Amino acid sequence: MNQDRYSNPYVIGFCLGLVLLFSFYTMGRGVGSSASFARIGAWAVQLAAPEHAANNAYLSKYTTGSGHVLKAWLVFLTLGACLGGLFSGFIAGRIRGEIARGPSIGTASRLWLALFGGVLSGFAARLARGCTSGQALTGASELALGSWIFMFCIFGGAYATAYFFRKEWL
Amino acid sequence: MGPLYKFGWFDFAYSLQLAGLIGFFFGFVLERAGFGNPRKLTAIFYLRDFAVLKVMFTAIVVCSLGLLYFSLAGWIDLGRVYLLPTYLWPQIAGGFLLGVGFVMGGYCPTTSVVAAVTGKLDGLVFIVGMILGSLVFAEIFPALKGFYEAGSMGAVRLNDVLGIHSGLVALLVCLMAVGVYWFVEKVENRFGDPETLPGGSRRAKVTAAAVLVAFGVILALVNPDQAVRTRASGVTELSKVRKAETPKPAASASEGFKIVDDEGC
Repeated sequence: MNQDRYSNPYVIGFCLGLVLLFSFYTMGRGVGSSASFARIGAWAVQLAAPEHAANNAYLSKYTTGSGHVLKAWLVFLTLGACLGGLFSGFIAGRIRGEIARGPSIGTASRLWLALFGGVLSGFAARLARGCTSGQALTGASELALGSWIFMFCIFGGAYATAYFFRKEWL
Repeated sequence: MGPLYKFGWFDFAYSLQLAGLIGFFFGFVLERAGFGNPRKLTAIFYLRDFAVLKVMFTAIVVCSLGLLYFSLAGWIDLGRVYLLPTYLWPQIAGGFLLGVGFVMGGYCPTTSVVAAVTGKLDGLVFIVGMILGSLVFAEIFPALKGFYEAGSMGAVRLNDVLGIHSGLVALLVCLMAVGVYWFVEKVENRFGDPETLPGGSRRAKVTAAAVLVAFGVILALVNPDQAVRTRASGVTELSKVRKAETPKPAASASEGFKIVDDEGC
């Protein structure tokens, strides 16, 4: 773990702020990613059960638009993020197959917790109309009220339950 | 005058390429910060490493100052920037759930992408979980519809709620950021591992903090809302000229200035 030298968080924050500002300046909107996964889910449902995808009150928002479900701005942004992360990991020599976990948890339990954490996050991001990037970062930069409240609630929820997952990380 | 897309500078197809570019830098900086590593991410919840908070707050402060200065300089029309609407109760509940999901799964949605592409199997599993979670939400959406709309306040900003102009809010955000940085560095020096914590000279930090506050003070004195309002008539003239000059691509004609519901994350 000690050979992982990461950049200074303030410098990174400054760069991320500029990326976000560039997005606002060119597109008039911020970044985000959780909707991409909702779209992938909607696409899978559309392939398996097209009628259900068209009739579902929430999925229809994605599936009844013009064009392909995945032909959306955020999906392309997420694809770009994959490439950017890959590039950064590659030049830093950080790409290696592993299951990241603390020393006192097994791989199976870690993967189950990752799955359930993902389910919770996916659900929560739909409920709150965005995730850490689409709602907290973007909205807080615009000084939107709900996004600030959302951001503090993320920290609240995580700090309140961190004790129960200490064996997973420490 | 920005946002360029809303003024018809380019069409939807080009905007998708731009999304790829923005996403590239987004993913790049996240991985660079070490956010492809869940132990680095969750260390904040055990008071050991506050990189997540530092990155988020710095990005927010830089971007919100940038937006206000851009609008002051007449480079961006904030009225055409998609402003996220506030739905109080689902956002509170969603925030808490996302926080639990974060510490349980080790990632938030975008960082899991970065983790998965750098070879972390748990990141990939987290993504699968997110897709399932979205579908669970969609399936029980009819039952949640009332709650989903609860506490709707429209697109309100902090300055509307606090009753002060946005320059003052920006100053408060700057001051809060500096205070928070100072506090969390104290905390992580106490609980964190000094070997993995980032260094950085104290002098550089103090200078950066002073510059940040100075930018906030200028905004608070200038009152960007007022300045933009008084110039508003001139700006609409300008945008009319701009629109007449630029040949509008067919694709953006249908998009227009319509705010799409899906524009949130």
